[in-house]
Amino acid sequence: MTMTEVPQEQPESPTNRPPSMHRFKNWMRRPYARHVMIWTVVIGFLLLPLCWLLLAAMNQTGAPASEIMQDIETTVFVFTLVSIPITAFVFAVLLYSLIGWKRISSDEPPMQESPAVFTNRIGVVLWTVVTSALAMFLAVWGMIELAQITANSYGTISANEQPGENQSVIVNVTGQQWVWTFAYPQTDGLVSDVLYLPVDKPVYFNVTSKDVIHNFWAVELGVKIDANPGAVTTAGVTPNKLGTFNIRCAELCGMHHAYMETEVRVVTQEQFDSWVREMGGGRTS
Amino acid sequence: MKKFLVILATVLAGVLFVGGIGAVSSISQEEPPVLAATLDGTTIDTPNNGTLPHATLDLSVYPNSSDAVPPPKEGPYQSAWLSGQPFYHPSTTIQVPANSVVTINFTQYDSGGQIYNPFFAHVHGTMDGTMDWNGKSVKNVKSDSVGHTFTVHQFPEASQPYFFLSIPLPMNAANAKTDKSGYPVDPQKISVTFVTGEAGTYVWNCEFPCGDEYQEFGGPMQTRGWMAGTFEVVA
Amino acid sequence: MSSVAPALVHSAEVPQPAQHGKPGGIMRRLNFGTGLLGGIGLATIAGVVTSQFVPSGYSSPVTFAPMEGEYVYLAVLLGWVIGFMAGMGAFVGPMRWLLGRENTHVDAEYMAGKDLGRSRYWKYTTDHKVVGIQYLIVTLIVFAFGGLLAMLIRTELGVTWAEVFSPAFYNSIIGTHGIAMIIAMIIAVSGPLGNFIVPMMIGARDMAYPRLNALSIWLLVAAVPCLVSSLFLGGIQDGWSAYQPLASQAPIGMLGYQMTIIVFALSTGVASVNLMTTILTMRAKGMSWSRTPIFVYGIFAAALMGLYAFPFYQYSQILSLSDRVFNTSFFNPLEGGSVWLYENLFWLLGHPEVYVILIPTTAVLMEILPVFMRKPLFSFNFAVAGIVGVVALRGLVWAHHMYMTGWAPAVNYPFMLSTEMISIPVGFLVLVVIGTLWRGTSWSRLPLMAVYAVIFNKMIGGVTGIYLSDVPADQYFHGSMFVVAHFHYMLMGAGFFGAMGGIAFYFPKMTGKILDERYGAIGLWTVFIGFQLTFGSMFVAGLQGQPRRVLQFDEQFAISNWISTIGAYTIGVGTLIFLGAIIFSWKDGPMVSGNPWASKSLEWQTPTPVPLENFAVLPVVTERPYNYGVPDPYDEELRAHDGDELESAGAR
Repeated sequence: MTMTEVPQEQPESPTNRPPSMHRFKNWMRRPYARHVMIWTVVIGFLLLPLCWLLLAAMNQTGAPASEIMQDIETTVFVFTLVSIPITAFVFAVLLYSLIGWKRISSDEPPMQESPAVFTNRIGVVLWTVVTSALAMFLAVWGMIELAQITANSYGTISANEQPGENQSVIVNVTGQQWVWTFAYPQTDGLVSDVLYLPVDKPVYFNVTSKDVIHNFWAVELGVKIDANPGAVTTAGVTPNKLGTFNIRCAELCGMHHAYMETEVRVVTQEQFDSWVREMGGGRTS
Repeated sequence: MKKFLVILATVLAGVLFVGGIGAVSSISQEEPPVLAATLDGTTIDTPNNGTLPHATLDLSVYPNSSDAVPPPKEGPYQSAWLSGQPFYHPSTTIQVPANSVVTINFTQYDSGGQIYNPFFAHVHGTMDGTMDWNGKSVKNVKSDSVGHTFTVHQFPEASQPYFFLSIPLPMNAANAKTDKSGYPVDPQKISVTFVTGEAGTYVWNCEFPCGDEYQEFGGPMQTRGWMAGTFEVVA
Repeated sequence: MSSVAPALVHSAEVPQPAQHGKPGGIMRRLNFGTGLLGGIGLATIAGVVTSQFVPSGYSSPVTFAPMEGEYVYLAVLLGWVIGFMAGMGAFVGPMRWLLGRENTHVDAEYMAGKDLGRSRYWKYTTDHKVVGIQYLIVTLIVFAFGGLLAMLIRTELGVTWAEVFSPAFYNSIIGTHGIAMIIAMIIAVSGPLGNFIVPMMIGARDMAYPRLNALSIWLLVAAVPCLVSSLFLGGIQDGWSAYQPLASQAPIGMLGYQMTIIVFALSTGVASVNLMTTILTMRAKGMSWSRTPIFVYGIFAAALMGLYAFPFYQYSQILSLSDRVFNTSFFNPLEGGSVWLYENLFWLLGHPEVYVILIPTTAVLMEILPVFMRKPLFSFNFAVAGIVGVVALRGLVWAHHMYMTGWAPAVNYPFMLSTEMISIPVGFLVLVVIGTLWRGTSWSRLPLMAVYAVIFNKMIGGVTGIYLSDVPADQYFHGSMFVVAHFHYMLMGAGFFGAMGGIAFYFPKMTGKILDERYGAIGLWTVFIGFQLTFGSMFVAGLQGQPRRVLQFDEQFAISNWISTIGAYTIGVGTLIFLGAIIFSWKDGPMVSGNPWASKSLEWQTPTPVPLENFAVLPVVTERPYNYGVPDPYDEELRAHDGDELESAGAR
């Protein structure tokens, strides 16, 4: 178990395997190398349920109600999966260092017990390559997902070009300490404190603030954008599930920040139209 | 053993310290006294909820404190920057009964002006979408003549019913005749009636910029007891 | 002048200017007491005079805010800082210089606290060891203050059924907790250890600019009351980030925050310049860059990054203060200002500052590891490369805090890339650490235990950081409790545990006593368990969708918040136990030799207590800093070699 145990293995008989395989095989003969590898795998499998547990926690209020939120959850899943091997390896080394390799708890410092390994070129190169590859993978994945979310948010065709039913709903979101208001410019001046959206229809948000910075967070729809005073920011989404979901303010905005909440009610097109008429907004143009 | 005692003492001292500071600050931050709507024994027919008991509540808004109307509370440090600011009187911690018809009678003594968001110049959440303003039934006031608003909104609890109520309180003219305390002789009288559902806790605040600092939303706007408070529907 | 005898300084004759009065001159009369007197005196005078000049009831024409309080508070704060520094004697040096009275050798020795006993800790003392201890005490005080506020926050969040504090007060405690902890963590390692240890570690007799060193600590001390006072004047109700325009709405306590930052940034700048100059110019003979301990690199990197970052913070707060008091409109969108300008300035500090905290704590654990593993630091060059990589990329990642602000959606792509890239050099540091653990025989003592805790926390903090660096995932996590848990794992998990380890490690050098192993370990592991409970369940709350900085939330978040609060109290108890261990060991602990850990680096070769000027004869460095261990039994061919060649023959 300890490093003082000098290896007994004899040089192998020559085979046609490449020398790196020899080296690896020799290295794996060392007990600690085998153990750390096994522990890495075990810890990795123990961590694996996290991939689903994270999503379960995210879905506690309700499953994704839009394509965007679906993409976000996929990203979280993939990121968890990709970071598990490295995490498991580090934890395995950490644990093995605590209970595997030799440990001394004398009061006097032990003198010169450990092998003087100054570096290990293969280890360094391998680590650099693996971590860089993972980081690059995550960056590329993130960019592709971001591009996809941007496309899902804003679509490829502008609102004016879409005829009839497929036209998007425009909502002007205004944050004010500490109430959200939602104006529907396509109606006759309808303004509401609750966000009503028709299902399966793209919606564009023009978000702004009357005073301080707020953050418009439609949780299950996966929409999050700051409401800035003196500027309009945009976001978009196509809700694909009927139901009532949460809107929260995610940027500290003063005393009643915690209470700056409201609901988004995703309803059918007919219900939406009748709601607009009922609220005196005329017809949706 | 001695070590253990020293450390135990340290821990205890720390706990006492934390507890002490917590207690002191929670006392100094005490909420204004509860102002409950009183059931007046009558019942009222509602269009959707059947016949419900009726309760009433009186609230006033003053532009500043005076000898006649004391300021809400004299916190040790607040008086320095909240004196001379408008406030709701007699309290901002409001309780109304659940499943009832509640009438709030506002008496508004303050002046006013242009509101940022015309949405809050409209009446929202009352029984028939109107309010009674000096005897007239109106749905909104002009957005350039709002004095204050009384806007009750959501508390982050999914288990309680959604509740939203926003009442614009019209302003008094700047040249209105005033009494010797400086308050208008003929204040604006507003009366609203709304239906409450199941019990729940909400907060309310004024949406008219009547404080100081940036966008006049600091000071009293961000202090319970002045222009904001809690609104509890109790069973 | 010719009558003045030259002084004998380290067996060299140095010509001396004329001696005026007793050694030290007026500095003999000045100490912390006169500082307080001067500060309170000048603050009172400034306040009274200002209130006379401001017309009663004068309010700002722009915001209608009554301005008298603002002007008076600003004057009081300025009066306090200037008066305190004057009372401490910060202006005596420049005054002497103006009068042409150069310091003599005996003056300088008096200033360094020679033969002053304990009172030197209460004076404007230039000795780097005194400054280090002063930094340690200030860190502990600020940390205790911030920790107390953390307990209050968790109390509020644990009581899910009611408001314990009014929302305004709650907001001000989260803001004050944030900035107090940020200050404490920034100075936690660079302050006490950077000042006390670094000069000894590089074989120098003191810092390059001893008087600037004293200036930096006493400026810091002057900043602390500014911060505490704001809590009583309405507080910092807008989080430690003090985003505009919310900060313009806050009560006058906001000025306390702004003044704290302005003074603190000055202190940090002074300290950074001092540390960098010291490290660049005063390393012992023979201490080439490859023989310089990694901690020195870490401190140098922190100083460099601090010098880059803190001016942004200072500017942002000066502009903010000017918006507030002088009606300018840098950040006021109504008047054409930009809130994004503030956010950019703030995060140009905000992200490098994270590395200002993390790099020294990582470096200190890299200093601890070889000693307790009895093993060389794995791949020293790689560690340096990691630090250099972080320093190089630190200024390119700030806008990942602004993904969701809508400032410039297109730059989310490059900032996502740069943020993912910075995980590569950080990964180097992880490899160095686990490479040093690899096959090591561990000598399990308190500092090493802290190192294990740090690695564990840092791994979790690092991995969760990957989610936040990614724009799509950040679209869910931004502004949620997940972020709070993540940066606590980083700053507290690495910073606080690293500081505990660092203090435990250097305690024998700083105090001559050894930190009580048993109670230190009990404290450490109590904190560790509490820490996992608190911030582990905070991750869950964030995943569930709880926004940060709220005092009331949906009951679905209640369970995770209860666990979190229980954990927080556990941390509190553990910290107090650790603190008790520090105080007890400092007072009554057993004396130890100068080098109880049998370390090979320079600072441990000095006697304890360390004499003034550290080394009677300046050392000459002849080997690498981490030559521990025995030849690798697995490696037959290496037995033929020795010393520096080991590295080149590394790959097996």
